Amino acid sequence: MDYLVAVLLPQLLHGLVFGAALGLLALGLTVIFGLLGVMNFAHGEFFMMGAYAGVAVIGLTGSFWIALLAAPLIVGIIAAFTEAATLRPLYRREPLYGLILTFGLALVLREGIRQIFGGDMRRIMPPFTGSTPLLGMTYPDYRLFLLAASSVILLVIWLFFTKTRAGIVVRAAVQDAEMLDGLGVDVRRVFTLTFAGSAALAALAGMLLAPVFTVYPYMGAEMILLAFIVVILGGMGSMGGSVVAAFAIGFAQSLFSLWMNPQRVAIAIFGIMLVVLIVRPRGFFGREGVLE
Amino acid sequence: MSRAPGWRAVLTFAVLAALPALPFMSKYYLLLAFDALLFGAIAMSLDLLIGYTGLVSFGHAAFYGLGAYATAILLERGVHSLWACLGFAIVVVGLYALVVSYFATARRGIYFALLTLIFAEVVYTFFRYTQTFGGSDGIQGVPDAHLLPGIAIDTPLRKYYLVLVYLAVAYTICRVLVTSHFGRVLVAIRENEDRARFLGYNVQRYKMVVCIVSALLTGLGGAVYPIRSAFATPDLLLWTESGEFIIAVMIGGLGTLVGPVIGGAFFTLLRDKVSSYVDWYFMVIGLVLIVIVLFMPKGLLGFRRRLGFKQWRTTV
Repeated sequence: MDYLVAVLLPQLLHGLVFGAALGLLALGLTVIFGLLGVMNFAHGEFFMMGAYAGVAVIGLTGSFWIALLAAPLIVGIIAAFTEAATLRPLYRREPLYGLILTFGLALVLREGIRQIFGGDMRRIMPPFTGSTPLLGMTYPDYRLFLLAASSVILLVIWLFFTKTRAGIVVRAAVQDAEMLDGLGVDVRRVFTLTFAGSAALAALAGMLLAPVFTVYPYMGAEMILLAFIVVILGGMGSMGGSVVAAFAIGFAQSLFSLWMNPQRVAIAIFGIMLVVLIVRPRGFFGREGVLE
Repeated sequence: MSRAPGWRAVLTFAVLAALPALPFMSKYYLLLAFDALLFGAIAMSLDLLIGYTGLVSFGHAAFYGLGAYATAILLERGVHSLWACLGFAIVVVGLYALVVSYFATARRGIYFALLTLIFAEVVYTFFRYTQTFGGSDGIQGVPDAHLLPGIAIDTPLRKYYLVLVYLAVAYTICRVLVTSHFGRVLVAIRENEDRARFLGYNVQRYKMVVCIVSALLTGLGGAVYPIRSAFATPDLLLWTESGEFIIAVMIGGLGTLVGPVIGGAFFTLLRDKVSSYVDWYFMVIGLVLIVIVLFMPKGLLGFRRRLGFKQWRTTV
């Protein structure tokens, strides 16, 4: 019982928190993949830039909350320009070019941030530092806030995609952009705005996770592989699948790290992915024929 | 489009072989030329996948790094024969490539890129954190390899000729491959996989074979590397390294053999020159990649053609 409360429960909560944030990251990746057929290598960089935008805004204003709002906005705007300038000309070409292009984008963005902010580790202080008694243990307030915020955001995204016209247009574009174009929707604008939105989500995840982790230029590059795994596990192009897989990976990561050192955990997660792919080649919720 | 290497190829290799005779080819430039040709040869073998078959491998660093570790491990443990090193590298890389290609080629498009990437990341994690092979420091300061007992490959000149021979062998293999019936089937798969399947070709088997050939050539390149550098580190296995191979292919031009060699050489020189002036050369390389994808998707070789130069070699 002591073991359960003192060790297992906090670790499970860690997993939940991490999974929720990972879900934000993976969701944007999935939507972009569905739209452009491109696995966005620069997505991790938007995650990283969100944290750095937070560092900058906090440096200017001193307020975590303003940073939380401003960071996704700044990164979203940068992403919108980036998409219009670089990815838009590639719509009619093979997805291969987009894939390689985003790799170049990732290099440029990562190096740009390193030049501006330097390569040192930075920290964002959590806006509140207390902890709350919960189920017989104490848990840091900020992590609880992180969990609540991510859950609310995930819920809002779900409502956006199911209830609003804009969300339905995006889903339609994922299904068949050409048809949507024929129906008179400006698909290019949909693409650019969706790209910006997904980047803003990644930035939000970066900003939210920054007080828990540290901020450094390679944080995105290290996160992106995990996000790729989540998207593959969930089934390419399946938004719900991505969220489920994100929680699964979050739990797996935090539970494994009870018994293994971090590198074994990484290998174990690769192992899980391979097993899932052998049993279910299209991931949890992937459908046959989606972008194959 | 005969199968025998054309006189141009022979001439090019003759020029490359005469290169060290130039007065300004110091030790530094010889080793730079080594890097350039090695990188070019690896980009060429990667182009078998990307350019000819339409499969983007983001995991070639694993083949490269495994080859390098194979050589470094043997040299460190007192086996000095070059042939033993190369043989060991072929076995190690071949076994790994068999597994990876089996899983990766079962799926199409983007899955191939992601699965090769993730497999490579497993290998990276293993070497990075396993102390048996030096952990993050890798294997440092390995002795010179011997061509035959008593003949050490110790001078930059000998190392340069070693990589030149490797490039020649790799080029010959690639050329025979892409001009053969097999190569035609690869192009057919790239153009229309379903139709190739309906015509009765076992598409996955073709993909697996070309994947393994490309991996083995890359692994051999990796096996040559510690002979020049005297080390093998986990960084060789990192996915950004795979990205650099792809950049070299893109710079040179997809679907040609000569293009990626030029691209790899160009990339190496660019990296060397830029990094000696500024520390943000990755940004320059990223920008070069973006410009090439956007404005000259056929790479430098294609750009030459558009400018109206006489075609250097008709491609397959």
